[in-house]
Amino acid sequence: MCALSEGVLSHLSLLEVQARSRKSRLQQQSRVMELKAKVEALKTQREQLKAQIQTHQVWGLMVAECDFRSLLACCNPLFFPALFYLLISSGGYDIIKTRKGKGACVSIATAYEDVFLDTFNLEIDLKPTVKINRHNIPPFIPLNNLAEQNNMQTDLRVFLDTLSQHLNAFAGRKQQLKLVKEKHKSVEVMESNVLCSLLVLLFTVPREKTAVLCTLDYTDHTRCLPTRVHLESEDKQLPDSPQWEKNCSLLMETPVHKALITMKKMGSIV
Amino acid sequence: MDNTAKRLLQRLVRRIPSQMLKTTLDKWSRLTAAQRQSMDYTESKWALTEKLLAICEENELTVKHIAELEMIHVIENPNLGMWYVFQLMDPQDDAHSVELTQFKEQFKSHLSELIRHVSIKIKKHTDEAVWIRIAWGDTFSRPNHLKPTYVVHYLQTPYVFLTSPTSKQKPLLSQALVLSTRYQAIKDANLSGRKLTAIRDLLMKQYLQVFPTKFPSPLAERNCVVSNLHIEKEQAGSAANRHQMACEAFGDGILPQLQSAVYKLETKFRDHTNKTMTERDEPFKCVVKFASTNLLESLRHSASSGVASTPVTPLLSSVPLKGKNYFVITDNGPGPSSQMKPSQK
Repeated sequence: MCALSEGVLSHLSLLEVQARSRKSRLQQQSRVMELKAKVEALKTQREQLKAQIQTHQVWGLMVAECDFRSLLACCNPLFFPALFYLLISSGGYDIIKTRKGKGACVSIATAYEDVFLDTFNLEIDLKPTVKINRHNIPPFIPLNNLAEQNNMQTDLRVFLDTLSQHLNAFAGRKQQLKLVKEKHKSVEVMESNVLCSLLVLLFTVPREKTAVLCTLDYTDHTRCLPTRVHLESEDKQLPDSPQWEKNCSLLMETPVHKALITMKKMGSIV
Repeated sequence: MDNTAKRLLQRLVRRIPSQMLKTTLDKWSRLTAAQRQSMDYTESKWALTEKLLAICEENELTVKHIAELEMIHVIENPNLGMWYVFQLMDPQDDAHSVELTQFKEQFKSHLSELIRHVSIKIKKHTDEAVWIRIAWGDTFSRPNHLKPTYVVHYLQTPYVFLTSPTSKQKPLLSQALVLSTRYQAIKDANLSGRKLTAIRDLLMKQYLQVFPTKFPSPLAERNCVVSNLHIEKEQAGSAANRHQMACEAFGDGILPQLQSAVYKLETKFRDHTNKTMTERDEPFKCVVKFASTNLLESLRHSASSGVASTPVTPLLSSVPLKGKNYFVITDNGPGPSSQMKPSQK
């Protein structure tokens, strides 16, 4: 009797243990799936935040910190609406008040392709008139022209928006040039300038080793893409060939360091 | 090789340190590999000069080639000699799109039109600077390569850097520069110094500037180690304040090396204990010069240590703010002496 019950009972208890462990394994599995789902959700959120940063919407102003009521109170009533918009919006720059509201310091950050680049600063007098006191913006950015053209006196926000556009575009073009020099050693940079508004590159066609001179004109200084692409080659037919016409439009529409990767893949250049 | 070429070469070999001579000659690439191998840089300068003269004769090099060598040396050593800054004014609409080839052609053609005999060499350096070497002649004589003027310009910026411009050459050079850069005028920027890189960095804002921020000092450690509880730095707060103001006025870290700041005073004498001087109607003309191996660091130190009062007076902070080290101070209207302001001249 004992041996028999041992056999059956032990078999039953074995089955019970198996069933229990299956349940806990299932629980574990469902917990794992829960966590995996959470990871995916967090990843999506991170991508969203990254995208927001890229469109300059997450950079808030230090409104919470500064007593903007007192700042507004110190201001010229004509100036009031502009400053109000400035403090509420998050246009990609930070502003703090200085000298008890008589001045402000603006900090414009630049970024390109998720990489933070230089930060530029302006110290502005708010009273009696809006005037730029001191800044670290390089001289090839036409600061005074932008101030005049955008009515800095009456609409500070528009001026800062435009300035931010110019600075970000400049930082983007400069970064592209840096990447071209680093990642594309087979392409020779024949000419560039401090504003990064002109780039002349020398390509070599594989096999025939023909040289192609490519001029990229960035005449719109608020953009990171060229406004004109011009090709010249010893082989006069080459620039008009369908492959190179495609390359031309590629260079107009894609940042140069990325366009070169594609051109290499397609076998256009070495 | 004519005498001028020989003299130029002799002078160059004298100037260039032996250790650098090899690299400079390599960059010049006017010597064959065999010739370069035959140079023994441990020999005396005199021996090297003779050797080099012989090689240059062999290669039939002219003064223009030697001028190239000189240019290579100057570009590699821009911080010797004295540089003066000029500023281009009122850009035309196409000033921002002037590119290198256009600038080179225009400059050469305009300057050659203004002077009969002139030798111009233009070279673009890796840091986007355009270097120009000008040997001046006149209607009757050939260009003098022993007294060249060097010009450095960054396209799309309004600044031009010159060495030793004479009063005769300045207007011609100014004209050529204005026309080829598509601006309307050029003026003296009142900035000079021995180091090209320093005055360039100052004007291109390539040094660390300090701006007011919400959190000027780093956050304090939670468990800060206090060396001795019985020692209290009473002046710590005001010292930190002075340091912050000094850095905001002059910058942080290593500052561009300026050697001097000159203030030309044309103001009325104001010491009331000296009646003879105060009674005069004409301004008391006086020149104050500050000199230092690194003027901006000295000024910053004087402000942060309390020697110069803070907030820093605009007379001193104007040096980095306006990018000038020569000021003419005049009285602007009646009032106490504290109303002296530097006026632009």
